[in-house]
Amino acid sequence: MLTPSAIRRCFEGAVPAVIATCSPDGTPNVAYLSQVHYLDDRHVALTFQFFNTTRRNILANPLATVQVVDPETAAHFRLYLRYLRTETEGPLFEHMKAKLAGIASHTGMSKVFHLLGSDVYEVLQVEHVFGAAPDPGTSRPDLLPRLRACMADLGVCGDLAHLFDETLGALARHCGIGYSMLLMHDPTHERLYTVASRGYPESGVGWEVRVGDGIIGVAGCERAPIRIGYTAQAYVYGRAMREGFAHGPDADALESEIPFPGLSNPGSQLAVPLALGNRLLGVLYVESRESRRFTYEDEDALVVLAGQLALTIELLAHSAELHAELPSKVPVVPVRGLPVEVRHYAADHSVFVGPDYLIKGVAGAILWKLLRDYAHHGRSEFTNRELRLDRSLRLPDISDNLEARLILLQRRLAERCPFIAITRTGRGRFRLEVGRPLQLVEAPAS
Amino acid sequence: MLDQAHAAFIQRRVSILVGSCNADGVPSLARAYGCRVPPDRSSVTVFLALPQSEALLRDLRASGAIAVVFSRPSTHETLQFKGSVQRISPVDADDRPVMQAYGRSFAEEIAPLGFDESFQDAIMAPVEHEGVAVTFAPLAAFVQTPGPSAGRPLGHGS
Repeated sequence: MLTPSAIRRCFEGAVPAVIATCSPDGTPNVAYLSQVHYLDDRHVALTFQFFNTTRRNILANPLATVQVVDPETAAHFRLYLRYLRTETEGPLFEHMKAKLAGIASHTGMSKVFHLLGSDVYEVLQVEHVFGAAPDPGTSRPDLLPRLRACMADLGVCGDLAHLFDETLGALARHCGIGYSMLLMHDPTHERLYTVASRGYPESGVGWEVRVGDGIIGVAGCERAPIRIGYTAQAYVYGRAMREGFAHGPDADALESEIPFPGLSNPGSQLAVPLALGNRLLGVLYVESRESRRFTYEDEDALVVLAGQLALTIELLAHSAELHAELPSKVPVVPVRGLPVEVRHYAADHSVFVGPDYLIKGVAGAILWKLLRDYAHHGRSEFTNRELRLDRSLRLPDISDNLEARLILLQRRLAERCPFIAITRTGRGRFRLEVGRPLQLVEAPAS
Repeated sequence: MLDQAHAAFIQRRVSILVGSCNADGVPSLARAYGCRVPPDRSSVTVFLALPQSEALLRDLRASGAIAVVFSRPSTHETLQFKGSVQRISPVDADDRPVMQAYGRSFAEEIAPLGFDESFQDAIMAPVEHEGVAVTFAPLAAFVQTPGPSAGRPLGHGS
């Protein structure tokens, strides 16, 4: 028997679907549908956007017939459906809302299309009406071996920094996905911060977004993948959105100095949460200039990869704190040049090197502790474990990924400050390297 | 019910979908391949492809209730007519050129929207299939273009 999964390509919104319903007195009604959303082989969801005849009819008579068209072969399929319920919040609703925003801006309907609910229907029967036989395959039928190659690359990573870069590298090498970002979750402040990116002029490491904002934030908040096939202005991280997020100089303010590194006008976006059970670890985000670049099958593949990635992150993050290896010998960098002032603002732990902003938040607090220990006690060797135990840092609990914070700090230093570096000297252990004399200044509280 | 502008609109470049339902309330639905309006505009004839319209034709014959949506892909301008079936007959020699001309106009309409020639040919292939002409008297018409006026009835005699 034909099932919805065999015709998922018809649900991408390229050719609008049509729904027939009828009233209790037997008057038929035909209307266009913005979106048919695949749930599983027995259920689909349809957008509920207007209080119209279709709506009145299905509440009175739950039977509906939907015709969809394959965007490549023009084959027609009919779905015989029975209305079950309407969802107005949660992962399904948010995914359909995001997808609808893409379809709306693609069709010039941004001011008209708003999702009121996701109507869930039971699929009673799928009928092949005419045209080519269903082709569940994708334009990239070798996705499974590509996924396998990605997983193999992840498997050999011994530390988090390597894992982050290899994940994005593997997606580029094996799946042809050139624009990607990896963000980790800060559960204390409910935000996601960028630890790696690929394909952009600026790395954007340190860029933050609140859980719930834009496609990345919504995927994180709902623990659900969100895929948009067209440029969706409401989900693009533009300047306006960034400015909208700025909340002033308190400890809770979002990082606003580091701009979003991604495409300003992506044709396709896909955000996949990294989660263990319901615990959010981060979000993997990919995008493309092309419309409809990511298919249902790409979404399947990235969800599988994200599962493996989440497990590996968890494993590596904890092992770094539990087992500190003995430090390896690293040549000491000579200190030379004129002294430079490093200023710390306690309110939000922002750190400036000379006049230039470097970092803030937890990573800023960590850097300040390291610099003080270096300046006052001559220390340069540190372990992840001692940072975790240091109460002055007031680190978030163990669910916070300390190793990811260190990677963020290490990368910001590498990009912005040529004379301060963090170098790995073994698992769970690192060295602070300072190449110029520093003058540490604690800025007075305002 | 049907003014000259609407009659012209529904005969070219529009997607045409026809619906009905059976006595158990199961809706039926099929694409139509062209439309003909007589000079007095008292009725509308739509052309269905027989193999893909079996359930729909059964319902149209049994109940006589019909709903037809005409929508222009490039502008989303959409009209729905509801009415009762007057006549169902095989497509005749005069109808076929009307269907073929309609098929060409629809292909022209969707070409700039990114659908290539093979898609255009495939979606309009049933223009050459065994066909059935369904003539109905429109009893009500509604604007269904997405937006504030969606659902507004076209005035009687308009």
